[in-house]
Amino acid sequence: MKKTINFILNGEPVEHAVDTNKTLLKMLREDFDLTGTKEGCGAGECGACTVIMDGKAVNSCLVLAVESEGKDILTIEGLTVNGELDPLQTSFVENAALQCGYCTPGMIMTAKAMLNENPNPSLDEIKEGISGNLCRCTGYKKIIEAIHSVAEQNNS
Amino acid sequence: MNSVEYYSPTSLKEALNLLAAYGEEASILNGGTDLIVRMREGQSKPKVIVDIKKIDELHKIEIEDNYVFIGACVHLNDLGKHQYIIEKYPFLAKAALSIGSNQVRNRATCIGNICNASPLADTATPLLSLNADVHIYSENGLRTVPLNQFFVFVRKTILKQDEIVTGISFEDDDSILGVFYKMSRRKEVDLSTVCSTVIKSNKGYFVSYGAVAPTPVRLYKTESFLNENTLSQETIKEACMIASQEVSPISDIRATEKYRREIVEVTLQNSLLEWL
Ligand code: FES
Ligand code: FES
Repeated sequence: MKKTINFILNGEPVEHAVDTNKTLLKMLREDFDLTGTKEGCGAGECGACTVIMDGKAVNSCLVLAVESEGKDILTIEGLTVNGELDPLQTSFVENAALQCGYCTPGMIMTAKAMLNENPNPSLDEIKEGISGNLCRCTGYKKIIEAIHSVAEQNNS
Repeated sequence: MNSVEYYSPTSLKEALNLLAAYGEEASILNGGTDLIVRMREGQSKPKVIVDIKKIDELHKIEIEDNYVFIGACVHLNDLGKHQYIIEKYPFLAKAALSIGSNQVRNRATCIGNICNASPLADTATPLLSLNADVHIYSENGLRTVPLNQFFVFVRKTILKQDEIVTGISFEDDDSILGVFYKMSRRKEVDLSTVCSTVIKSNKGYFVSYGAVAPTPVRLYKTESFLNENTLSQETIKEACMIASQEVSPISDIRATEKYRREIVEVTLQNSLLEWL
């Protein structure tokens, strides 16, 4: 069964007929080919599927695509504007804050929403802020540093 | 996931009509953090989904006429970060923010947490100790049911298929002091091994525990003992003994029965020591 929905995807208004039993995660990956958003657990535990919906970080595996009606959705692909990386993306590269990279889009989207709400988080606030995102490679240290360095740029 | 028909009514009336029309085949969708996982795992197979989030009146937190009202669609983050709740009911805010991750709390709701009726629902113990009332809407109008009569068993409440919980309310009482505890294996994004809220107010002591019985429970024997005795090292010790016998925990993957009884003693002791 399909339903037509209207929403904003990475800044562009879209109209799309989507299966009513599809999650937002599946719609992004399968219907829009936006494969930056990853599926880890599919159950709200790992944060790999994090996107920003109306300014808030959400697990796209826990949202039905049809619930996006009227919403503003931002994915990792939407962070790069005219080939210009977002400061968070640059910082992850510069700080080597990724290894396999599977958690990275979710981490960055979580960090993005956090910095929008609080441009100057402390290290502890950053740790707490990313506690819904699992990384099996890095040990988190470099991820925290990468986010912190963007926060410091905001500060100066 | 099985195929579903999706509706997003904008009024309670419309939502009720849908629930009445589709009966057992319909599921209410609120935050979705539980339902969507259950659908994915095939534990829930609704044919019709009634998304209640477009009903504006369900989104409010109201503080009026000496009552605090939390609407059905209020997210856990909105509750946990609400200035008035943080100031006057910090234990409730803490309970709300102890659930899942930030991403989950941006979607999940307090009322959803209650309606799922998990034995370890984290917002259940503060609300039980606050003597909260559940507001239930149906064709016959509005009825309120004390939260301690709402839970029936694991994942079972008194709610009927054609009813919608519009919110939960409790008396706004300046004398209330409370302590919330959540014991879990990980610090974040974990389920409670045991959770509890102990309240002290002009009306006495109110003690509630989660994950120690098929539903979140009030410990009435422990409460009467506390209300009949003055707080001291000895009476606290005795109250903890009573509480550990009053609960009926089981052993599961998170902890053994014995460990849970001990945790009940420890958390109750720590809570009461705040007021000694
Ligand atoms: S895939 Fe969504 S939280 Fe893990
Ligand atoms: S870089 Fe591999 S999971 Fe985080």
